[in-house]
Amino acid sequence: MLTVKDVTLRFGGLTAVNNVSLTIKQGTINGLIGPNGAGKTTFFNLISGVYTPNEGEIVFDGVKLNGKKCFEINHIGMSRTYQVINLFRKMTVVENVMVGLHPKMKSGYFSAILGTKGQREEEKEVLEKALDWLDFVGLRGNAYEMSGSLSYGKQRLLEIVRALASNPKLLLLDEPAAGMNSKEKEELFDILRKIQNLGVTILMIEHDMKLMMGITDYIFVLNYGKKLAEGTPVQIQNNPEVIAAYLGED
Amino acid sequence: MKLKSVSKILLAVLLLLVPLLFRNFNYGILICGFIGIYIIAISGLDLVFGYCGQISMGHAAFFAIGAYGSALLHKYLHLPILLTMVIAAVIATLIGALLAYPASKLVFHFLSLATVAFGEIVYQLVAQSPGGITGNFTGFYTDSINLLGFKISTNTRFYYFALVCVCGFLLMKHRLVKSKEGRAFLAIRENSHAADGMGIDVKRYKIIAFATSAFYTAFAGSMYAHYVRFISPETFSNRQSVMFLTMLLFGGTASLSGPIMGAAAVLLLNEGLRFAERYQMLIYGFMLLVVILLMPGGIYGIIKKRIDKRRVVS
Repeated sequence: MLTVKDVTLRFGGLTAVNNVSLTIKQGTINGLIGPNGAGKTTFFNLISGVYTPNEGEIVFDGVKLNGKKCFEINHIGMSRTYQVINLFRKMTVVENVMVGLHPKMKSGYFSAILGTKGQREEEKEVLEKALDWLDFVGLRGNAYEMSGSLSYGKQRLLEIVRALASNPKLLLLDEPAAGMNSKEKEELFDILRKIQNLGVTILMIEHDMKLMMGITDYIFVLNYGKKLAEGTPVQIQNNPEVIAAYLGED
Repeated sequence: MKLKSVSKILLAVLLLLVPLLFRNFNYGILICGFIGIYIIAISGLDLVFGYCGQISMGHAAFFAIGAYGSALLHKYLHLPILLTMVIAAVIATLIGALLAYPASKLVFHFLSLATVAFGEIVYQLVAQSPGGITGNFTGFYTDSINLLGFKISTNTRFYYFALVCVCGFLLMKHRLVKSKEGRAFLAIRENSHAADGMGIDVKRYKIIAFATSAFYTAFAGSMYAHYVRFISPETFSNRQSVMFLTMLLFGGTASLSGPIMGAAAVLLLNEGLRFAERYQMLIYGFMLLVVILLMPGGIYGIIKKRIDKRRVVS
């Protein structure tokens, strides 16, 4: 469903992503790993539209993404979370999810000003849907709190469900488990499975190898902006090049 | 009946009775009319500044476009005044959208610099107009609003007219900010990258916020023109833009009642300090400093904090 072909991104003289190709299959959970500074988040920014590649092409669901803006890519069906939590802090938890539902809403500016029946009904529906999504990750009890006041782990979950609300086909998760305690990580594990069961394909960056090896179907390894290896978790664990990249060569 | 609806009814009755309470005090009604005008102007500024997080330091320009637009349309095209007010506000909206289109790429101080420049351009155009159509510094006389033969020529009549307008504009604002548009504004203010990632066309919504804001402030400007019946450039200098910002910040941003309290408080203070008019900018500057340092949420913020606290206790 996502095909990245020979993609390169340069910042001046620095090549952040170097000739990377990969293919992601529908319905799978994929991991993207690599040492710090390997270009993982840059790669996410590349496929989600923050950057446009200098070379190569990205095709998602039959559509070429090169040059498309973030919000357009979201409309095509790709949604994401961020490495640094990027919630709308001074909005309530449920409002954050309602923003996630924004692309699905039809009523326009003037129907809002006039308060038409259709608009009010849509608002009600969207609120219900948003609350249902909060149930999905167990945050319904926090619906009317300011999102900025949630605990760190809950903020991570809210980011995930905000991204999920627009019913994406592909979900990009940038270090979803960062800052979570072990209990929260177990919950996350279950939630990821539930997301997969919804038919959503996942590509995630994560440093927690136990979580990664336990849940992913397939893993890609980046190092210095290049793809070092790809394969099933078992293959990756036994790949001498990957081990060398992580532990240092000798 | 709930306490809330009782207090709402009491407030409505009180507002309707203001002219009666002030019947021997025409000056009081006059001020209330001005407060109404400023509530609308500030509510517009609040949409773009408080909700969408875009600083405009040139909103006096829209106030001017509304005032001069309506007065000129009436004089030269002989259109009925209420119609000219709407047309002038629509023109301001289009100009606002045109300005916001390139400016929506700008952030922080670059945007405010662009709006300062815009305010200055409009001021210069009004003060040194082509062919002198605005009367330049001599000023420009115009008529009262004429509602199908009923002239809004007294302070009391204008008060009721303004009351209706304020209610209308606040209702519109309330609906807008509670809709997906309003959430998009807030999302952009809170985190424009994440808003973009969530499928919000940031540029489009910045333009919508700015254009709507221009409509509000321009309509208020046209109300001003036909209330005072005389306009001159000095009303539309950057001093006015600073006053708008002072009112908004003092009252509290991103709320319905903040602009109401801010407009009333600053205007009353202004009137009370008439004798110190030359220190006006100094006083605004001082007020802005106090608000930013000591009461970042404005009057609204302070009241809200109190209420929230009480809720937590009970």
